Amino acid sequence: MLATVSSATLVGVEGKAVSVEVHVTRGLPSFTVVGLPDASCRESRDRVRAAVLSSGLKWPQQRVTVNLAPSSVRKGGAGFDLPIAVALLLADEQLPGRSVAGMAFLGELGLDGSLRNVPGALALVDALPAQLVVVPPSCSAEAELVRGSDVRCASDLRQLVEVLRGKRGWPARPPSPAVAAPTDSLDMTDVVGQPLGRLAVEVAAAGGHHLLLVGPPGAGKTMLAERLPGLLPSLGADQALEVARIHSAAGIPLPPGALVRRPPFRAPHHSASVVSLIGGGGNQMRPGELSCAHRGVLFMDELGEFPATVLDTLRQPLEEGRVLVCRARASVVFPARVLLVAAMNPCPCGREGGPGSCRCRESARARYAARVSGPLLDRFDLRVEVDRPDVADLMVDTTRSGRVESTAEVARRVAVARQMASARGVPCNAEIPGPGLDQLAPVEPGARRLLEVRLRQGRLSARGLHRVRRVARTLADLDDRPGPVRVDDVYGALALRSDVLTTEEVLP
Amino acid sequence: MTGGAGSRSAPGPQRLTGHEAYAAALSGLPGMGPATLVQILRQWEPGRAWEEIRAGRLTRPSPGRSATPVGLFSEPGMSDEQPVVKSRPTWAEITNRLEPESWWAAIAARGIDVTWPGRADYPAALANDPHPPGVLFWRGSLAGLQQPCVAVVGTRSATADGRAVAFELGRDLASAGVSVVSGLALGIDGAAHLGALEGLPAGGPAGPVGVAASGVDVPYPRRHARLWERVADAGAILSETLPGRAAQAWRFPTRNRVIAGLVRMVVVVESHASGGSLITAEAALERGVEVRVVPGPVHSPASAGSNQLLYDGPGPVRSARDVLDALGMIRPEAAAGMAHVDSPVLSPDAVAVLEATGWRPCSMNQIVSRASIGVAAAGAALDELESVGYVVNEGGWWVRRR
Repeated sequence: MLATVSSATLVGVEGKAVSVEVHVTRGLPSFTVVGLPDASCRESRDRVRAAVLSSGLKWPQQRVTVNLAPSSVRKGGAGFDLPIAVALLLADEQLPGRSVAGMAFLGELGLDGSLRNVPGALALVDALPAQLVVVPPSCSAEAELVRGSDVRCASDLRQLVEVLRGKRGWPARPPSPAVAAPTDSLDMTDVVGQPLGRLAVEVAAAGGHHLLLVGPPGAGKTMLAERLPGLLPSLGADQALEVARIHSAAGIPLPPGALVRRPPFRAPHHSASVVSLIGGGGNQMRPGELSCAHRGVLFMDELGEFPATVLDTLRQPLEEGRVLVCRARASVVFPARVLLVAAMNPCPCGREGGPGSCRCRESARARYAARVSGPLLDRFDLRVEVDRPDVADLMVDTTRSGRVESTAEVARRVAVARQMASARGVPCNAEIPGPGLDQLAPVEPGARRLLEVRLRQGRLSARGLHRVRRVARTLADLDDRPGPVRVDDVYGALALRSDVLTTEEVLP
Repeated sequence: MTGGAGSRSAPGPQRLTGHEAYAAALSGLPGMGPATLVQILRQWEPGRAWEEIRAGRLTRPSPGRSATPVGLFSEPGMSDEQPVVKSRPTWAEITNRLEPESWWAAIAARGIDVTWPGRADYPAALANDPHPPGVLFWRGSLAGLQQPCVAVVGTRSATADGRAVAFELGRDLASAGVSVVSGLALGIDGAAHLGALEGLPAGGPAGPVGVAASGVDVPYPRRHARLWERVADAGAILSETLPGRAAQAWRFPTRNRVIAGLVRMVVVVESHASGGSLITAEAALERGVEVRVVPGPVHSPASAGSNQLLYDGPGPVRSARDVLDALGMIRPEAAAGMAHVDSPVLSPDAVAVLEATGWRPCSMNQIVSRASIGVAAAGAALDELESVGYVVNEGGWWVRRR
């Protein structure tokens, strides 16, 4: 007997429909899975057999062939356990033939027959070509995001079989958890002093400008970076779904309700490989950290310690907002629109880094600075030094003085600036195209003169000019000034783009 | 030593047949230190010394006693030859394998010359030195050494202020007719040379003199390759090291003693608590050469060593004028060019920012914190201060200059 059941597999962050065909015939008892299954897929044989037997069902003592079609696509994961079990029971005539019409299945089976979570359920369910989708209860929130009321859940195989045999109705889906207003526990009020760092974080959030923080250990670089996502506005429904789809595929736990409303914050360790950062690897092409931080913040602490090859692969995705990962078997586009925040020490010894204050050799400093290539350094619109706060700042009684702004206050200004940017027709100021600057971000004559002087002095490159103008635009937006960019804004933008990491220029 | 002086004045191929090749080759023998070499060259002319060695009448001194004459004139195979020494090739074996004249001809063709004690062009200041170099290789022109010489030395990891002081010292001293001697290193040395090149009047005799630890044709550090060429064109580059040899760590203190021996005064601009320029200063004091120090900020690590030196005795100098004054060669026209400019009028923001900057390098963040003004206002104020020379930006750090 032959039976076919619909399911799906994951390639990158997209689902691909797969039909699971099971053929049961006379012959020596055996169980074969064909159709480019990976190891976890092939192992379903043992899980399915145990689950069927422990659910009080019969295992056919015949020759069983499972085909996953189309056979040209590599299939991975344990999500085929349930469709294989259902198709097997159909082929063995333990289930009525028409009972699964218009249904698709997804789920991993435990040896006791229970249904377990499948990574990437969001994208998988989206790709299922059936009217009703049957998923494990733990995936129901994700499935409902894309299929609404067409989702059915069963807690284990025995329950599902009873439903399909018509002995009982579908069990109730787990109730959607109340989506609490997301709160970020990290608040800007914790940051003491650091006027420049605070401004840089605010500008980065408002304009989507990549930020490089340079300072000695313990200066608060990580503290500032971690508070950046809190300043970003919550994601819209489409964006939240987009991010949820990536996180689901990457196996990152989703928040209650499955929608990722808050911009993600990802901080890979500097031992990260190219594949782990960019994506790819395995048959399923897992999204990398860059994509996991999509619409959020990618924080790279100790930027200088990342291998140069890893850093330079970031350049193109940062520019394009997506990354095309190509392998022999498949090529996948991952979304990768991130706000990159990086932190590093000013020199290898990690002291204050002031001129003449550390004993690092000039050559060692130059080598350290050279780890971050010029083109990558150029992507950072904002480069600021962060130093250890003064003692006086640390000892200020913040409860009394109350002069430290909270995340909520700053986020309000950021929201206004973001709205002004979108009114201009760009997602954020960092993405204003170079030729559009004169139209979208005009500058006053005084500001133009200042920029001209800096260009003539050779302290600003042509590309740097564009970046300074974009940051100046953001500064004006944060001040709620729609008019042309003023000279003050340009001074501010220049102050936020210091020549950190440059070494002694020796000869004329 | 008349042979050496004669070959010096004769041009072209005749020079190649002189003693230069043998002097150079002698300095390259293993175990040949400056003291031994000086002793040999006082006894014989280089060509003759070479013959003595080839004939085995002059052998390598036993290790550890190179400064003493014991073993120097011993017959071959005598009892003081240690087994350890025997395993090494003897000088006689080495010299019999070498062809110094063709080897030297190739070096001389690249504009490199050599001098040794007793020759007319050997720097007079080194003739009576307690530890004179046995040979000195050189490029350029030694005329600058006939002028009053002052060494301007200091740390390689210098502050912007230190480099500016070194540059100004070099410039003003060169324009006053003083040859600036330094070590061609990064930081203070390089800045002093650059200043000297800038201040040197066209065709002026007081060309800068660079004393190298590597061979005169091996620029070190590599970033200073262009500086080397400019110094060699305008003045001279000297070295005890054979041409083509790279710098080794032990050669730097040795080089520093040559600097100290060449000059009438050593000016230390900036030095960390333990720095090579302190070795130069010590060598100068040993030789009775005057040492002067440019005072630095009390908290600056880059001035820790130089300030300690200053505390220990040598007097301070603030500018080339003070140096010239100490040398007794202050001239009215030289002094006129170094007058201070009047203080410009500053905006209130600029005054606040200048106060906040203080005298130690500080970051934008510190300035904004201390001055309690906006980032944009601070940027504008710093721009104003920079335009009138109150502050400079160095690698993102703001440094007050006046």
